Formats: sequence, structure tokens, C-alpha cells
Amino acid sequence: MADLFEDYRLGPGWDEMFGEPGMPRATYEALHATLQPLSSAELGVRADVLARAFLDQGITFALKGVERPFPLDIVPRIISAAEWAVVEAGVAQRIRALEAFLADVYGAGQVLADGVVPRRVVVTSAHFHREAAGVNPHNGVRVHVAGVDLIRDETGTFRVLEDNVRVPSGVSYVMENRRAMSHVLPEVFSATRIRPVESYPRQLLRALRAAAPAGVSAPTVVVLTPGVHNSAYFEHALLAREMGVELVEGRDLVCVGNQVAMRTTAGEKRVDVIYRRIDDEFLDPVQFRADSVLGVAGLLNAARAGQVTIANAVGNGVADDKLLYTYVPELIRYYLGEEPILPNVETYRLEDPDVLAHVLDSLDTLVLKPVDGSGGAGIVIGSQASDEQLAGVRDRLRRDPRGWIAQREVKLSMVPTLIGNRLRPRHVDLRPFAVNDGSRIWVLPGGLTRVALPEGALVVNSSQGGGSKDTWVLAGSSGSPAHDASARPLGVAPAGVAPPPDPGPGFSVPTGGPGIGVGTVPGPGDGAFAAQQQQQQQSGGGAC
Amino acid sequence: MTVSSWRLSIRHRTGFTYDGQVGASYNEARMSPRDDPHQAVLDARVEVWPPARTYRYEDYWGTVVTAFDVHTPHERLEVTASSTVETLPPGGAAPAGVPWSDLAVDRWHELLLPTPRTTLDEELAALAGEIRGAYGSPHEAALAVCERVRAEVAYVAGSTGVQTDAVQAWRQRSGVCQDISHLTVGLLRAMGIPARYVSGYLHPSRSAAIGEPVVGQSHAWVEWWAGRWTGFDPTNGIPIGERHVLVGRGREYGDVPPLKGVYNGPPNTGQGVEVEITRLR
Amino acid sequence: MLSRIAESLYWIGRYVERAEDTARILDVHLHLMLADPWVDEDTACRSLLSVMGMSTDDRPLSAARVVGLLGLDERNPSSVAGALAAARENARGARETVSSEMWESLNATWHGLPDARRRVDQEGVHAFFRWVRERCAVLAGLTDATMSRDEGWLFLVLGRSLERVDMTARLLSTHTRAGGSIPSWLTLLRSCGAWETFLRTYRGSLDDRHAAEFLLLDRLFPRSVFAALSTAESCLAELSPDAGRAGVATDARRIVGRARTNLEFRGAEELIADLGGLLDGLERTCSQVNDAVSRRYFRQTSAVSWVQEAVA
Repeated sequence: MADLFEDYRLGPGWDEMFGEPGMPRATYEALHATLQPLSSAELGVRADVLARAFLDQGITFALKGVERPFPLDIVPRIISAAEWAVVEAGVAQRIRALEAFLADVYGAGQVLADGVVPRRVVVTSAHFHREAAGVNPHNGVRVHVAGVDLIRDETGTFRVLEDNVRVPSGVSYVMENRRAMSHVLPEVFSATRIRPVESYPRQLLRALRAAAPAGVSAPTVVVLTPGVHNSAYFEHALLAREMGVELVEGRDLVCVGNQVAMRTTAGEKRVDVIYRRIDDEFLDPVQFRADSVLGVAGLLNAARAGQVTIANAVGNGVADDKLLYTYVPELIRYYLGEEPILPNVETYRLEDPDVLAHVLDSLDTLVLKPVDGSGGAGIVIGSQASDEQLAGVRDRLRRDPRGWIAQREVKLSMVPTLIGNRLRPRHVDLRPFAVNDGSRIWVLPGGLTRVALPEGALVVNSSQGGGSKDTWVLAGSSGSPAHDASARPLGVAPAGVAPPPDPGPGFSVPTGGPGIGVGTVPGPGDGAFAAQQQQQQQSGGGAC
Repeated sequence: MTVSSWRLSIRHRTGFTYDGQVGASYNEARMSPRDDPHQAVLDARVEVWPPARTYRYEDYWGTVVTAFDVHTPHERLEVTASSTVETLPPGGAAPAGVPWSDLAVDRWHELLLPTPRTTLDEELAALAGEIRGAYGSPHEAALAVCERVRAEVAYVAGSTGVQTDAVQAWRQRSGVCQDISHLTVGLLRAMGIPARYVSGYLHPSRSAAIGEPVVGQSHAWVEWWAGRWTGFDPTNGIPIGERHVLVGRGREYGDVPPLKGVYNGPPNTGQGVEVEITRLR
Repeated sequence: MLSRIAESLYWIGRYVERAEDTARILDVHLHLMLADPWVDEDTACRSLLSVMGMSTDDRPLSAARVVGLLGLDERNPSSVAGALAAARENARGARETVSSEMWESLNATWHGLPDARRRVDQEGVHAFFRWVRERCAVLAGLTDATMSRDEGWLFLVLGRSLERVDMTARLLSTHTRAGGSIPSWLTLLRSCGAWETFLRTYRGSLDDRHAAEFLLLDRLFPRSVFAALSTAESCLAELSPDAGRAGVATDARRIVGRARTNLEFRGAEELIADLGGLLDGLERTCSQVNDAVSRRYFRQTSAVSWVQEAVA
């Protein structure tokens, strides 16, 4: 019984699949046609296979210290080639502006002198690290990997929600989701031309190699992880493995005279590029927290001396400060001379007393975010908060206006999601990943779509109990290859049936085919032999 | 008219001793004077024991940093900075400066914010308000703050430590140049005047004999901005002149420690500081 | 490879072998204690614990307490449960090098330990020890089938071989020490799983000399001390091939080589005459080799904690 879409009601956000009830948009027509006739039981079976595949592989996310599977919803989210072209260009543009900003702010400071961004915004940012001033990467790249969080507003327009240029995570889920889905829904994959995501590690490795210090032609790249107890360890290990580079912890590295090496059984081996998944504060006990056992003493000065490249650079956090976010459109105009392709969400800066007053008056239509937060922690959604919570946040806003921003509450777009045994609309966001190799910014086609699973929930971060969806970017009809050109089949299979393996003594070769090592020794299954044995038994018994 | 500059030779030796062998140690020394409107550096060297290769760079505040790491086992670490500097006497008449209303310049916002060692308590905040109200120009008020701190807080060597903050120094009404400077900076900022903490050296004697090495000091003083940056020595109550050699500036001591680092080993049993200054000309 | 990972693999080899061999030793000796009516339980237990390198207090000992200390105490890396837990912990940190099947096997073994107590209560210690031997055999099989014969594998086998020398020496020393019942050579052979092989090799003549010869010197039986030393030696040779014209590349290899030749070129009679001394020497050799290997290959693998200092 085709009951999946039973009682599917649209809204409150823009529905990505349905323009009107029962009328799928062009992008989702094929998917809708596949799902519509299925019964919930049929889809449920596939969803179970999907869940099991993740568990078996040990893909989990540590939520509050407990490992649990990261729920992948079976319904993919689809983006058309045309829509994606805008996202791709917009994300790349944003990264270019932020790169220029970071170089400026840790260098000459022209953007501050010209008053485009008040200096006070920068110097009061918790992640503005003065220690990073004067550290100039050889190929000028500070944001080797970025994750720009996007939402679609009530008209379906993509808007930037926040930038993540410190240690953005989640790309491993993108790759694992795609792998799992292609096993569980193979027929949909073969019918649709979806841009692949498997080249991400290759692109990342290229960018990391390109970031090597001056004069290093065959750079040694490593992935620096805090260790197995970190909630994203799975991703660190996956990326190291797929890039074919060593996965190290701080204690495996040593810095002597500004040169970084890893401790191997063959002695110390020089390291040139470190893709670090450790926060700045823990990275170097000489410059930051001395109690950090995760970092490497002397690392920052080694980077300053141009002997090692740290990816992403130290101090990037000033660019993903949520207050700085409100200035990014101006930064795009200032550095690139272009209009922003992707707009921000309307955001209020609270240091202006008039603005603050207006915000305090309309808390129930706004979302309040700590400037410093990550993983969705500390966010207060005015329309959903209790009176107590509102009073609390009101108080905090008054006391520390620099520490908060207020955004219009956008009803995020929605995609059908399997809830129980029906499909229901749920809010989603999108985190595309961008890799900067110094000459161009490559945006992974798709990215991580996070879905807020509880009904009406707007906070989609994985650490708040959300799930994810495979994100499909359709290959354009303009001839962009549906498959990565480098993934060619390995030669042609020979025609005909392959010879069977050696059966061993005691078994005769099955007739009808060419055999290798045909034995003439009769086996136990051989009729004549067995008959003889039986004869022996019968005659050997003798009369009792 | 000849400007009577001095030429000073400074030898600053400092270091740590340990209760046993230290395996590895990473350090940064901020002990080298830099070229500045009021001084020219003719020579500046830093030597380290145990011997180690040093790496020089300029930090965010423009201070010259000498970084080095030691991996041979050692029971003491010693850094000796030797420099030769020409210094100028204090500038001419005191500048009028800008009025109170023009002080909140975005450019110096960073130097208005409280920091761990310069945060004030209610009593001190009230004092700042009182002085601010009493003077028509920020520059005059700044001088008054220096005078008041000097009058109230006695210079007593050894009465405080590296971690002491402005409030503690005020409460005990004693401290060293570091504390007096932190207190002054804190009060200036509370009045809305951007202020910097400066670290450097002081030749102890106004009538220094040429060629005579004397025991000098690692010294701290302040600078404030009331239209332009003006330096003053609140501990000695004098403007910055030929006896002062500037090493670095920042928001407070934490931005310009002469020597800081991390090491892996037994507890530290002591640290020493020796400064010898000789007037050459 | 990273020193830290090499060290983890080395210790996985040691811990798993320790778990298996301890299980074997305990199985045999506890059975003996129960079977022999003349045995004084306290003395026998004390002797067993001292062979295993565990100090004891004055409280009276019983078989149950020994099982608790050497079998089930997860916090003690000398006990069966402790060694398996430690092996798993090492594998966790080296997950990228250990095959996923090996990890799953170690993980499943660790998860099965809480049931161990139940198994001991309900089915008796023998069932528990048999389960341990099976789990260790699974892991040895997976190591064999799923690990590339690279450096990582060499360190694992090196650890396993060293531990085997040490544990076999301890097993044999339960025979030489006075006090408590003396396990016969038959018992010792059985506890190594060597009984049938021995019979085939010596065609049924069980005498002290042959048994000692077999367990100490046999080239072909993998649990003999000689075979384990040779394996350790060849691992070390592959890890650091000799560079110069004289001597061997590492201290570790020199020590192992000397121990091996000591066994190889002395007659069985001579060895048995001083069995006690020989076994002590073997245990010392193992700890010297361990130190030499750690110094050479595993320098500084633990995190450093830094102390901050500053001058006014």
C-alpha cells in the first residue's frame, strides 16, 4: 500500500520536494516517482539495512560521551545543477573574501584602518590570536578547509547562516552517507546522474601538498588528531587513510629548532604539512594553554619560521566569529569588488543601544546566538523558549551585547524524512565543504545536509541529536561528467566462464566445463568406488 | 643646540634553576631593545646557556622576541641579552592633547580594555572617576594619576610576585615597578584613556659616570594616548628620558615578559635577574 | 612506522600471549591442586603466585583467590582479564594499523569478560580458561591471515615471542621450585599443548631429559623456548638489518642471540643440571630485551606534560 506520503502536510518552511501538495518540483520528480508507490514496510526494510550498515562499520558519533550511530535518513536531499552553481560560486566567493581578511588582520590591518570593520570587533573576538600575527603561509592559504553553513529561507533562497574556518568537521559523514546509500538504493543511483563526492580526500591532499613550505618538493603531510577519545576521531582516521598519510597525535611529533618531525621506529622523520584537527588553544603549549597534552611545543614558531605549514592556520577563528559574520558582505565588496552571491540571514548587531532595545522588545521573533558558540550550544530560539529562558537571555544580552547576535527566525526549508513509518517534512540545513589549494577553491558537490528530527525543531547540529541526509547535486545537462574522469573501469573482463578452482584429492571434477588439474583419482563421491566400499562392508561382516 | 643623547650598554642576565635535570625546554625572551622615536639600537644580541640556536621575530606588539629550545639535559637555564643603545632626553613642552570627548578612538580600543593584571575593583574604579572629574584635560588627569599612585604605593622590592595584580598592589599599598605600572594603566583605562604597559631598563643614576658599570634594573613604566602617545615613569615620577631603554609594549606584563617558557622536568628552584648598565657616552 | 603504534602492536603481542599462557598455567596447576590430596593449598598457591611474579601478603591463600588475582582482575596487567583488557586498549589507539577483524575480535573478547565471572561460577574455571585459549587462538589466526608482514607485524610477533619465552620459563620453573606439588613433565607438556607432538617426536619415552629438551630446545615445536627465541631474533634482524661488517645492529638482537646460542650449544644434560639458574636467566633476558627494544624503537611515546615558567 502506497502510504508513505499519507497525511503529509506542507510547511512551515519552504518544502524542497513539493511546490504544492502532491505536486513534486522538477528536481524531485524522479525520487518522488520512486517513493510514492512504495509501502512504508518496503522503505522501512531498506532504512533498517542502512542503519545496520552504519553500526557494523562502527560509524558513530559520540554524543555526550556515549557512542551512538549517526542517523542517516533514507530520503536524500536533491539540489539541481543550476541551484548548485549559485551555491558553489557563492561559497568560493566568501572564502576568497575571508582569506583576504585573515591575511589583512594578521598583517597590515588595512581593512581596519579603512574602517570597513571596526578594530574593536576584531580585538575583542575570543579567537583573535595575536600570536598568529606575522605567520605567513607560503602559498598564502589560511583556510585550507571551510564549511559554510547554508539554509534556504521561506522563498527557497540559499542564505549563509555561519562560516566555519577553524576546524570544520562532517565531511566523513558525507562520504559514508553516499557509500551507504549507493548500496541500499542502487536503482535510484543508476537512474540519476549524481555528482560524486569520493574525490574529496584527493582534493584535500592536493591542497595540503600545495601548502608545503618553500623549497619542499615532496612534502610529508600528516593528520594531527587529539586521539581516539575525540568525538570526530572516526573522521580523522578516515581522511588520513584515504589520503594515504600518517595519522598522528601530538605526542608523536617533536619540534627541534623550528623543524617538526614525527617519531618513527626508523628515527625522526621530517613533517612539512600538518592538517590539524586540534583547536588553537591546545595546539602549542608554548603559545597557548601550557597544560595541553594534545599539542606540540614550538609548533607555532616553526610555522612562523616557514618550516612547517599548519592547516587550517592558527587564528582563523576571528573570521568565523558570529559578529564578524555580519560584516562579511562588506568584506566581499571591499576585497573583491563584487556583490555577495549568497546573502546573509538578517542579523542584528547588539552594541548599538537602539538596536539592542529593538531586539529585547521582539525576542519572540528572533534567534539569539552566542558569538562564540559552536555545535548549536547556547542558541535560544525566541518563539520556542520559556519565559524563564527569555528572562535569562535578556539579562545576558544586556550585560554582554558584544557576546551575542540576534537573527530573524527563518523557517528553514524542509525535506521529506522517514519518521516512524511515514514521510514527514523536517527542517534541514546544508554544510558544503570547500578546499582551497591556493589557485582555486573547490567545493564538494553536495555537502552535509543535517536534519532536525524532532517535529518543529530548528536546531540541526549533530551534537544536539539531529540526523543527516545524503545530498545529491544533479549533474548538469551542459556536459559536466556524471562520474569523476579519473574513475575509469579497470579493463575489460574476458568473455566466457572462468575455470573452476582445484577440487583437491577425493573429489572428481564436475563435467561440462574445462578443468584445471583434472585428477584421475577416484573420489568418495565416485560411484564405482563407493559401490566397492559398500560391497566390502556387506561381505566383510560375515555370519554372526 | 646639541641634543644630549646618552649611549648605554646593557647586559641583562636572567634564568632559572631546577631541582634536578630538565629534559626539554621551549622559551621566548623579550629582552632586546628596539628602534623607536626616542632610541636607536646599535647592537643587540641574545646568548643562551645551554647553547641553542635562536630564532628572532617581532610579535604583534612590535617587541623583538628571541625564541629557542633546549633538548640537552640541564639543571639551569640562562639567557644573557647584551645591547648598545642611544637614547634621547625627554621631549619639549607637554602636549595639550585632545579633550575627553575625543578619546574613544577605535584604533586604540584594545588599550582601553581591562586585562587580568589591570582590572580594578570598586574602590579603584571610584578613584578613577574622582580623578577624571577633577581635571579638564585627559593629559593632566593622567599626570595626576601617576602622582597619586606614586604617593600612595611604596616601592618595596620583593613585596609582590609575577602574578600580582593591580588590586592586590593597591590593597597592600606596596609593590615594584611592575605593580605600580599596572595600577596606573588600570586607572588610566578606567578613565577612558588608552594606556600601554612598557617594559625596558632604567639607568639608576641621573649623574651616571661614563664607563662605570652599575647595577641597573629591569624596569616597567606606562604610556597613554591623549592625542599622541606619551610615556611616563610612575615609579620614579619622571618623564621618559635618556636613562630609559625601551624593550617592548603591550596591554600588561603578560604581553612582554622578559623570559617565559615551558619545560618538562622537576620543579623550578629559583630564578635570577641581573642587569648591568654602563653609560658609554 | 610511528613509534607509538609499533609499541602498541608489540604490547598487543605480549598481552595476548600473556593471557593465553597464564590461562594455561593456571588451568594446569589449579587442576593439580584439586586432584592431589596431599597438596597444602596455601603453599601451592603461594608458590604459583611467586612464579608469576606477584607478591603476596600474610593472608591465607586459596585457589579461589588465585583465580581472582591472576584470572579475573581487570586492573592487573599480569592477570588474564587484565592482559586482555590492556591488549584491547592498545588496539584502540592503533586501530588504523590493526585490521578491523583483529580489532573486532579483541573488542568482542573484552566485552565477553564480564561473562567470565559467571562462567567461573557456573561452569568452573576450566571452562573460562578454555574460552580464553580459544579467543587467543582466534586472534593469532587473524594476525596470521589479515596482517601484512610489515614492521607492524614484526613488532607484534616480537612481543608475542618474548612473552612466550618469559611465560614458558615461568611454567617450567613451577617444576623446579620446591614447595607445593611438583607438576610432572607430563603436566607441563600438556599445558603447552605439546603432549601429542612430544609423543610423536620421542615415540612415547617420557623421561625428564627428553621433556626438558623438548620444551627448551626443540626447533620445530613453536612453544619451545628455543623456537620462541629464534623467532624473536629473526624479527629483530628484519627490523634492523645489519649495516656494518661486524656484530649486529641492535643491543636487543645481541642479547636475544646470546640467549639463543646459550641454549643451542649446550647439551640437554647440562641445561637440566642448572635448570633453575637457566630459567631465571631467561626471565632476565626477556626484561633486558624489552628495555633494549623500548630504548631503540619506542623513545618518548607518551604525552609530555609541560610546566610554565616566567621571569619578572
